[in-house]
Amino acid sequence: MRRDVFQAIADPTRREIIHVLAGKSLTLNGVADSFGISRQAVSKHIKILTECGLVTIKESGRERYCQAKLDQLNEVSVWVEQYRKFFESTLDSLETYLDKLQSKNKKNGKTKRKK
Amino acid sequence: MERQNEKNNMTDRELVITRVLNAPRDLVWEVWTKPEHIKNWWGPNGFTNTINTMEVEPGGCWDFVMHGPDGTDYKNKSIYKEIVKPERIVFEHITGPHFTATVTFAEQGKKTLLTWRMLFDAAEQLQQVIKTFKADEGLKQNIEKLEVYLQQAKV
Repeated sequence: MRRDVFQAIADPTRREIIHVLAGKSLTLNGVADSFGISRQAVSKHIKILTECGLVTIKESGRERYCQAKLDQLNEVSVWVEQYRKFFESTLDSLETYLDKLQSKNKKNGKTKRKK
Repeated sequence: MERQNEKNNMTDRELVITRVLNAPRDLVWEVWTKPEHIKNWWGPNGFTNTINTMEVEPGGCWDFVMHGPDGTDYKNKSIYKEIVKPERIVFEHITGPHFTATVTFAEQGKKTLLTWRMLFDAAEQLQQVIKTFKADEGLKQNIEKLEVYLQQAKV
């Protein structure tokens, strides 16, 4: 199953959890309390967030605290940027095609547009 | 805690590409809206396309397969949201990655200025996370406390 930052933020509850954890570390029970959802549901979300690298669990005494690791979120802008190359080269290809089309039209004596 | 959020803004979730094309706007519109044209140029150099459906009207479906030079097929499905001939096309790319694209064509003499904006959903969700995170000034104190805690917790 896909485990990356996008999976992490795709769910509104997980976004809320990240938001709350960004402010303070909480135990699983603490997270469950602040959301009014079952501990089981919280565990599931925390597990996904952990696997996606957005939350780490720190042991402190007998308690286990969930912490947000927000530097991961930078990945999204890097990810968006990588698509630039694809679309830029698609426009290169469009330019080549338009040139080809217009020189063909000229050769055939067809003009799209009269001056 | 590292604050990488400062530089996040609209451009982080949106790609904007502009290009002045050496062709009149009517022709540019035609090659964007006719399957017999778009199949010839869509995708980077070396890609070919099979257009299954192309209904250029609001709500219409644009379903095609891109064939990469190495033989890999990429399925694409979009829904047209807005068609304003010959100025503007808006479509929602519903297969991954999910984004909404707005393409505008502006006449510049015999040339055409093309502006292509793509708003990525995943990035928009990220933006929400960061916005609420940043907007909530009340959290600041807690963050400082967390920083102290993290320092102590470091092994």
